[in-house]
Amino acid sequence: MILLPLLALCSLPLALAASADTHQKLVALAAAGGGVIKLDSDTFELLTTPNRDWSSSIHFTALDIRRRCSPCKEFNPSWIQVAKAWSKIRSAERDRHFFATLDFDEGQAVFQKLSLASAPAVYIYPATEGPRATNKAPLKYDFSQGFEPEPLAQQLSNHTPIPIPYTPPFDWARWITSVAGLLAFAVTIRFMSPILQSRWTWAIGTILTALVMNSGYMFTRIRNSPFVGGDGSWIAGGYQNQFGQEVQVISLVYGTLGFAFLMLIMIIPYQASGQRQRLQVYLWSSIIMIVYSILIVLFKVKNRGYPFKILL
Amino acid sequence: MPLAFPLPSDLSPATVTNTASLLRIVTLCFVSGAAIASRLFAVINFESIIHEFDPWFNYRATRVLASKGFYEFWNWFDPSAWYPLGRVVGGTVYPGLMATSGVIYNFLHALNIPVDIRNICVMLAPGFSALTAWATYMFTKEMKDESAGLLAAAFIGIVPGYISRSVAGSYDNEAIAIFLLMFTFYLWIKALKLGSALFGTLAAVFYFYMVAAWGGYVFITNMIPLHGLVLMLMGRFSSRLYVAYSSWYAIGTLSSMQVPFVGFQPVSTSEHMAALGVFGLLQIVAFTQLVRSHVSSKQFQNLLFLALISIGVLGFFAMVGLTYKGKIAPWTGRFYSLWDTGYAKKHIPIIASVSEHQPTAWPSFFMDLQFLIFVFPAGVVLCFQQLRDEHIFVIIYAVMASYFAGVMVRLMLTLTPVVCVASAIAFSTLLDTYLDAKEPDDAEESTNVASPPSDAQASASKKNNKSAKPAAATPGNALTDLVAAAGKTKSKGIYGLDTRLAIIMNAIGMLAFFVWHCTWATSSAYSSPSVVLASTNPDGSQHIIDDFREAYYWLRQNTPETAVVMSWWDYGYQIAGMADRYTLVDNNTWNNTHIATVGKAMSSSEEVAYPILRKHDVDYVLVIFGGLLGYSGDDINKFLWMVRIAQGVWPEEIQEPNYFTPQGEYRVDDMASPAMKNSLMYKMSYYRFSELFGNAQALDRVRQQNVPKVGPTLDYLDEAYTTENWIVRIYEVRKEDLLGRDLKSANAFAKGKKRKRSKPAVSRRRSLK
Repeated sequence: MILLPLLALCSLPLALAASADTHQKLVALAAAGGGVIKLDSDTFELLTTPNRDWSSSIHFTALDIRRRCSPCKEFNPSWIQVAKAWSKIRSAERDRHFFATLDFDEGQAVFQKLSLASAPAVYIYPATEGPRATNKAPLKYDFSQGFEPEPLAQQLSNHTPIPIPYTPPFDWARWITSVAGLLAFAVTIRFMSPILQSRWTWAIGTILTALVMNSGYMFTRIRNSPFVGGDGSWIAGGYQNQFGQEVQVISLVYGTLGFAFLMLIMIIPYQASGQRQRLQVYLWSSIIMIVYSILIVLFKVKNRGYPFKILL
Repeated sequence: MPLAFPLPSDLSPATVTNTASLLRIVTLCFVSGAAIASRLFAVINFESIIHEFDPWFNYRATRVLASKGFYEFWNWFDPSAWYPLGRVVGGTVYPGLMATSGVIYNFLHALNIPVDIRNICVMLAPGFSALTAWATYMFTKEMKDESAGLLAAAFIGIVPGYISRSVAGSYDNEAIAIFLLMFTFYLWIKALKLGSALFGTLAAVFYFYMVAAWGGYVFITNMIPLHGLVLMLMGRFSSRLYVAYSSWYAIGTLSSMQVPFVGFQPVSTSEHMAALGVFGLLQIVAFTQLVRSHVSSKQFQNLLFLALISIGVLGFFAMVGLTYKGKIAPWTGRFYSLWDTGYAKKHIPIIASVSEHQPTAWPSFFMDLQFLIFVFPAGVVLCFQQLRDEHIFVIIYAVMASYFAGVMVRLMLTLTPVVCVASAIAFSTLLDTYLDAKEPDDAEESTNVASPPSDAQASASKKNNKSAKPAAATPGNALTDLVAAAGKTKSKGIYGLDTRLAIIMNAIGMLAFFVWHCTWATSSAYSSPSVVLASTNPDGSQHIIDDFREAYYWLRQNTPETAVVMSWWDYGYQIAGMADRYTLVDNNTWNNTHIATVGKAMSSSEEVAYPILRKHDVDYVLVIFGGLLGYSGDDINKFLWMVRIAQGVWPEEIQEPNYFTPQGEYRVDDMASPAMKNSLMYKMSYYRFSELFGNAQALDRVRQQNVPKVGPTLDYLDEAYTTENWIVRIYEVRKEDLLGRDLKSANAFAKGKKRKRSKPAVSRRRSLK
């Protein structure tokens, strides 16, 4: 019975040596990949060896065109940026945590072993030995905050020896556009100022804003609702839901009705000819009636219990 | 000028004015009556009861105020909320609502009218809606005239967008806040028009009342400065603006700081900085004006202008710098989420989880405002046509409120008044135009002169069309006519009686439809107390589902007074108000960690949850379960938010994806994920649920899924009470086992499950695993 621990004791230096060896190899691989180890089935086993005093975050992806994984392509740059940020720190901390990528075509066996059905996925393998050892199972990174690098760096920092020093790259394009826009504005202000000082410019802007906002534009922005439905329908079922195209249709309907009222109030009373005025009164009244009925029909699609109707 | 229809000519002007003012008063009374009456559906259909969630706290606080007096209320420390932390109510509440009810209560009792405090609370919102109609009348009167004011009052009296927050029993801050909002705006406009310090001070006083009543006072704090700023940018600075703004800002800010919950925020948080900045800018501009009036040099004026701009820019940057340095507190989360719409979802799930903080889809706009929503832009255009100082206010208000209402459903409430005002302006202009009996001089001659060429042109274009050469002559012609008609400053008016009748009948039809719509929306959608539910029997009669009160009264009568009840935060105020028991969390969501603790207990397994429950002295756990009845607002549907909020604090232990099936579906049947099935919430919801169905498949009517035949078992909790329709289920937390065993094995022992000797190998293998 004493033999067993003894044996284990004897094998400990061996294991340590082996793991130190593996560690050197992994450091070299990481350096070669610019901070990211490109894995295959064998190196995956090396990286996730049961006795490891390092932690790692592994990105499972399928970047090959044939796999048609567009989220993978979307997420990959964020991953590389965060890994690059990590590779810039001092080697003492850097080599305690590895960033690695395993492509589906390089290690199908691993995907099967982990029964991964979808990509991309990020798993965090904590260290099992050494000062940072935990006996937790690998953690899965939660993509609920999107594919952006900031939340990724923030979440992964909980598992790295020191926080990942990720700073978002300077957005040159945005700055240049805004500076150029300001310059263009300053240059053309002489010609623009009559337009800017006209109240009707502002009126149009105000009305358009109000129409678009009142047609649920912010809903589609915040909820990222699609422009049309998957089956080609442009109007979403349900009272608390809508597609992007509904914003256009509804603001057009509201705009038409509002315009008809303006015609009745502001234009028609100034008509010189009685006959023409009469024609326009009837024309715009019937436009109001018809468009209003259409609006009610649209509303009935959204709210099935609505008991009223006008013409249609 | 000829008349389209005969008018009585033997009336003295005095008679006309007197009759008009009498009619106005009578109309306003009727409008108030309609506003109050249409809010009484809830009382008539159900009973005089406080609705929903937050009102229950307000009601409870008001009872304290009425029974113990204002000072006791001010110093009230409530140990039963947020157990074991407690809540300093006086310093964490907007006291305006309770103070208002308290004053009314004491006033009525001084007159020896013994009204129950509950009835005052229930009827407060309808009562104030009548005042809102009056305030809107006054406001719109300043924009156009009395007739537009009456229309606006009628609109706001019955529009569902406002009724949704002010039915009888909806005893919430918004009940009085909209009146205060409109009245403060009216006083501001009046102060600006007259340059009166008196009205400016009155505006400040009502602003103070608003600050004391509703957190949405920030809307006023930013609207008035924005108005002032735009007026200055348009070169409309005047001493009237200076007097009005300075008196409003100085008195309003100082008085608003007297509310303990607000404190020093007006000088330290970003929401209030716009008001301070405009105040400073106004002083500089006023100084410049003063200097300009005494100095004539052109250069000096230019210099002053430059200095003005640079001071403004410097001040702005100084403010940004101070915010950056942390001297000025950054925006509060709720406010920030208005601008950066993705912010709340990322950083504060507790704000994103509230249903009234969701963005608004267009049907809600139409439901709440009906035809006003498309007359409103026309009214805004009419404001642009006039563009006096007060019209600019309406325009700014329209843009800002449209945006805010789109971002958050609850802010529809701030959009509603301006929509009513603007569409009343448009509608009354329409009626004015087409009711006017004067006909313009028949311009037959001029049209005769004008028509031959246009006929010729039309025939020419027809010929062009025939010769396969499409020309834009006809629309171009119409357009020039239109522009000419608009541009000519000639007599305005309507010819004939039939045109008038067509428009007026149309308008009356629309108004009638609006009334029908409002009545329908109020009675069907906005009058449910949500404490009592109603359904219809097969024979059409109403069936009342009273499970909530059943459960709360059970708690009240069967548990010790110091019992601690854990539930999701939605029900905290109701438990405190109706059951009068200690709660861990409630709707005053000030402590995210505490809420996350409850979320963690609900979403982890019994073994993990039990120590949390015991550490917080929890005696009872209450869950809402709608699976039997099809009540969709139950805890299983809210469960993901509990998981998300818990995950925000313990990302290692609670992870949202674990509660989905591998296919990413949210299921409660056999396919449900293990984390889901083991969670306390799932177990408490479905405990013994399948027994109800006998041999048939148990069906969850909300999720439309079949629940597993063998339901979950509970070792650490006992079912204490389940209401008639299973909506509320209460569980008692077991005390530690007297023999020191863990409750699971104690339970197994009690059930007589002995270790089976027949299969020793299996159990050993299990223990090895």
